[in-house]
Amino acid sequence: MGISPIQYRPWKGERSAQNLRVYVILRSVFRHGLRSTGVKILIILGFFLVFAFQLLFVATSPHERLEADEMNSNLNGVVLAIFAMLLAAVVTSDLISEDLSSSSFVLYFSRALKARDYLAGKAGGALLVMSLLCAIPPLLIAVVATVTQSGDDYWYSVTVIGRTALAGTLATVFFVPFGLMMSSFTRKRSYAAVGTFMSFFVLTIIAEVFVEFAPEWRVISPIESLAFAFDWTFGQTLPVYMDKGVLATFLALFIVLPAIVVYFKITRQAVGK
Amino acid sequence: MSMATSGSLQTKHMDSAASGEEPVGRSAFHLSARNVTVRFGQVVALDGFTADIPRGTVGLLGPNGAGKSTFIKASLGLLQPEGGSIQVGGLDAQSQSLQIRDNVGYMPEHDCLLSSVNAVEFVSFLAQISGMTPRDSMQRSHEVLDFVGIGEERYRLIRSYSTGMKQKVKLAQAIVHDPALLFLDEPTSGMDPQGREEMLDLVRKISASEKTVIVSSHILQEVERVCDYIVIISNGKLIRAGETLALVAGEEGVQSLTVRGDSRAITGYVQALGEVCEIMERGEEGDRQVSLLVRGCGNGKAVFQLASENGVQIRNYRPERLDLEEVFLRSFKGGAKNGD
Repeated sequence: MGISPIQYRPWKGERSAQNLRVYVILRSVFRHGLRSTGVKILIILGFFLVFAFQLLFVATSPHERLEADEMNSNLNGVVLAIFAMLLAAVVTSDLISEDLSSSSFVLYFSRALKARDYLAGKAGGALLVMSLLCAIPPLLIAVVATVTQSGDDYWYSVTVIGRTALAGTLATVFFVPFGLMMSSFTRKRSYAAVGTFMSFFVLTIIAEVFVEFAPEWRVISPIESLAFAFDWTFGQTLPVYMDKGVLATFLALFIVLPAIVVYFKITRQAVGK
Repeated sequence: MSMATSGSLQTKHMDSAASGEEPVGRSAFHLSARNVTVRFGQVVALDGFTADIPRGTVGLLGPNGAGKSTFIKASLGLLQPEGGSIQVGGLDAQSQSLQIRDNVGYMPEHDCLLSSVNAVEFVSFLAQISGMTPRDSMQRSHEVLDFVGIGEERYRLIRSYSTGMKQKVKLAQAIVHDPALLFLDEPTSGMDPQGREEMLDLVRKISASEKTVIVSSHILQEVERVCDYIVIISNGKLIRAGETLALVAGEEGVQSLTVRGDSRAITGYVQALGEVCEIMERGEEGDRQVSLLVRGCGNGKAVFQLASENGVQIRNYRPERLDLEEVFLRSFKGGAKNGD
């Protein structure tokens, strides 16, 4: 231990950040996400393929005001949905699986950390990363379009900005709970990532098969149900076969059900069951 | 430490640390278990376990699968006992587990480190989870990494660390928030002899800072060297508990005797001795020497007189002193008194 051994020194300070545990985990997940090359590639590529041209267009072309149907068409495409799915799969894959595989889980819960706070931090960090692709670029387009509009109907533009924020939030939130759930099922991040993407992909294929018999089956496809949700958010007319109640139920199933499953799984894990 | 989590555990810790007074008595600060039962399916990990663990450095001993780790996890509220209760520093382990965990450090037996970060990031992150500000956590992380002896390697990814270094990082994360109670589950597991020495030295230094340190191990010599109280568990039940010195002191009135001489003289001596004392154990040490465990020899005058009459030499005659291994083995035979 050297010539002058270092003695144990008790901590004299105060632990004043007891209520910031969620933020600590959230920040850690966000930073970890931004350090990942895969995440950076998906965000940059997704931005250029989906939003860059639109941003340039609204900034340079004359327009009366920000139109809801234009914003809807900006967001409402297969490309964004696929990028969001991929990004969610990559971002959420190691959030819980790595803690399970390294057993660092026990270090978190040997401290005064609630399962609820742990999950909130993990989900919050993932949502922040997702928002870099799904919420912030469309909001940026909406704000630029409003700032550069030639007409004076700013109130309408602001309402569209609000709808854009809502749609962006939905796109951000939509795939994360499912990704977290898959991450809590396995100790391998690759299994979690592939599982998340393939689950959505398989649901889309099933929807495509059954839509031959009844168009309502589109709702079980995550991509289609997200598209319908955007239409609804921007005040567009939904197809006659699509009931709003059914759509809301499926949206809740995609978001709430995985969140409940992962919460109970983590709670049971935290108390050693 | 946080003022938000008031509990007798924390109050006691802060009082003694701040005032610099003598540590409070053992009975004032302890962990107690009453009829704790934990099952994993058909396996009973703790079977009506009852024990009082006082303040100080306490060794939790038992064979593999005895229930040591289960008891630690149940004390942290990480396992829900089927029955019974555990009190840690006056707080209930089930209903007040968050307050307990806020003042407890835990070094698990198994690997639990994130391999993709360096030691500073890892320890600092866990310090923040314990409620420290980023600035404090960074400063304290360097302090505890210095203490455990992780030098410049602290900036390398943990996946490149040796087992000994990983054990030290596990200890660093357990003490980073300066807990009042520390659970060390097999702290020397997988370490080489030098590493073990260093780890035991660290445990001794931490113990000196008025903490309760509970060391779970099945390496008895190590526990004997660092712990001043021993709890022995087997099959989820308390087998023995007591001060280390009391446990290894052996039974009162029992003497250890070594006699040397020719075999016929020794036989005669042992026969004669058996008439004045109770010979509890006899061990041959070659043809010309025997060691005996005797009881009821009074002041020992007869022992020496008979030796003189039978022409044997007394090489050793002293009160029995056991090592912990002996205590451990006797505990399972039920052959010794409780050290309490």
